Amino acid sequence: MIRNCIAIARREFYAYFSSPVAYIAIFLYLVLLAITFFFKIPFLLPKEDFFAEKEASLRALFEWSLLLFTVFLPAISMRLLAEEKKMGTMEILLTLPVTDVEVVVGKLFGAVGFLLVALALTLAYPILLFAIGKPDLGPILGGYFGVLLVGMGYLAIGLMASSFTSSQVVAFLVAIVVCAFLTFVDRIPEALGIRALEPLNAMSFSYHFRSIARGVLDTRDIVFFVSIIVAALTIAHYSLSSRRWR
Amino acid sequence: MIEVNNLVKDYKVVRALDGVSFKIEKGEVVGFLGPNGAGKTTCMKIITGFISATAGEVKVASLDVVENGVEVRKRIGYLPENAPLYPDMTPREYLAFVSTLRGIDSKEVPKRIEKVAQVVGITDRLDQEIGTLSKGYRQRVGLAQAMIHEPEILILDEPTSGLDPNQIVEMRDIIKEIGKQRTVILSTHNLPEVTATCNRIIIIHKGRIAADGTPDEIQSAHGGGNFYLVEVEKHDSVDLTSLFSSIAGAKHVAMLASSGTSQRLRIEGVENKDLRKDIFELCVQKGLTLLGLQRERLDLETIFQRITVQ
Repeated sequence: MIRNCIAIARREFYAYFSSPVAYIAIFLYLVLLAITFFFKIPFLLPKEDFFAEKEASLRALFEWSLLLFTVFLPAISMRLLAEEKKMGTMEILLTLPVTDVEVVVGKLFGAVGFLLVALALTLAYPILLFAIGKPDLGPILGGYFGVLLVGMGYLAIGLMASSFTSSQVVAFLVAIVVCAFLTFVDRIPEALGIRALEPLNAMSFSYHFRSIARGVLDTRDIVFFVSIIVAALTIAHYSLSSRRWR
Repeated sequence: MIEVNNLVKDYKVVRALDGVSFKIEKGEVVGFLGPNGAGKTTCMKIITGFISATAGEVKVASLDVVENGVEVRKRIGYLPENAPLYPDMTPREYLAFVSTLRGIDSKEVPKRIEKVAQVVGITDRLDQEIGTLSKGYRQRVGLAQAMIHEPEILILDEPTSGLDPNQIVEMRDIIKEIGKQRTVILSTHNLPEVTATCNRIIIIHKGRIAADGTPDEIQSAHGGGNFYLVEVEKHDSVDLTSLFSSIAGAKHVAMLASSGTSQRLRIEGVENKDLRKDIFELCVQKGLTLLGLQRERLDLETIFQRITVQ
C-alpha cells in the first residue's frame, strides 16, 4: 500500500520537473510574491502590506499565496489523471497490481511534493524577516502550516477535477471555479450585507486559514481541511473506478 | 488458465461484446482475429480488469477478475494498443517504476531490467527518453513492461501495429519465443500474424465468436479442404463433368484448362468429407489415368473474409 503510493508519488514528482510547466509555475509564483513583498502592490490585497503596519510578519505574503494558489495549483494538478487518460498510460497503470486508492493518494502526494518545493523556496522571506527584525514565530509557523493545508485542499480538488475528464483545460477550469468559490465564499455575506448567510464562512478556505495563521491550532480548522481533502479524494476515487461499474 | 463465460459489454449505444465464451489452457498462444471494432480490445480490457463487463464473468487461474482484481493483475502482463508509455521517462526508469509497482524486490530490479531488455532487444536504448524512441522501440519497451515480472499470462493488443515489415518479423519472433513458456493472447487484424505466431485462433466478429480452433480446424470447419484439383488423361468418350458429379458428396464440377493430352478439373465437395479416395476409385473403375489429385484448402484469408463480411 505505502510502497505503491510512494512509487506513484515519486513518479509524479519527477514528472513535474521534467517539463517546463513546473519551472514556469514556480518562477511566476516567486516573482509575484516578490512584487507584493518589495513593491507593496496592494491590488487584490487587504489594505495592509508588509511595511505599512511596520510589523514583522508574513501575513500579506500568506494571503497573497492563497490567492495565487487558486490559479497556480489547479494548473499543477490538472494533468494528474486527465493526461494519463488522454495518452492511454492509465491503462497500464491501472492494470498493474495497484488499487485505485493507491493511485489517487500517490498522485496527490506527488503534487504535494511539488507544493513543498515551491513553499521551501519562499523560506527566504522569513529568513529575511529574522535578519531585519524580531518577528513572532507562532504566526509564521501557523501561516506555513495553514498555507500547506490550503494547498493540499486545492490540489485534492484539482485531482478530483482531473478525474472527471481527459481534457486538462476542463480539469483546470473546474478546479479554479471550485477553489475560488471555497476561497471567497466568506466574502459573500459581507458583500450582500446579509448576515443570515454568515454560516457560509465555515466552508471558506480563507476563514479557516486565517484562524490557523494566527498561530492558534484549533481542531475545527484542521478537521475542515482534512474533510475537504478526504471528500475530494473520495470523489476522485469513485470517478476513477466508475469504469468498472456494471 | 483463463475462463470467459458469456461476456456481454454494452457501451452507451453499442453492444461491443455479445455473449463471448472461451477457455484458454496454460501454454496456449491464442490469436484474437477480427476486423476493427469487432470487440477484441474490449475483451482484453475486461480480462485485464481495466473495465468490467455488463454481464458474464472472467476467471483467471480460477480467480474472478472483478473480486480478486489485484491477484489477477499480478499474474497478467498487459500491453495495450499503441504501447502508451510515459514519454518523459527513459525505458530504464519506466521499467524500474513498473517493477516497484509489480512488487519486485528492489535489489532484483536492475538484473530484471537487463534481462528483459535483452529479450526484447532494447539494451542499447535503455537510457534514451521514451518520447524520442521510434515506434518499434516503444512497442518493445511496452512488451518489456508487460514481461518484467515474468507473468504466467501475457495479453498483447495489436503488438505489431504500426511497425515496419522488418520490425514485424522481429516482434513475431520475440512473441514466438515468449510463447514457448507462457500463455499468450494477442490480437490483430493481420492474418499472417496469427498463422505465424499462434497455435489457436479465435475469430471475433460483431461481438461474437465466429470461429475458434487451430488454423487447421478452422480451415476444415469453414469450407477449407473441400476443393479438389484433378488432372486426368484426356478421354474423348467420357463426359468428365457428369462422371465426377456422380460422386456422392461432389457439389460442383468445373472444367479447367486442358493441355495436350491432359484435362484438369476442379471439384467442390461437401464439407467435412474427404473425397480423394472416391475420386481415385472412380478413375480406376472407369479406366481413367489419374495424373494428379490435390485437395485444395481455402486459405485463412478467404475464410476470414467470408466470416467477417456477412
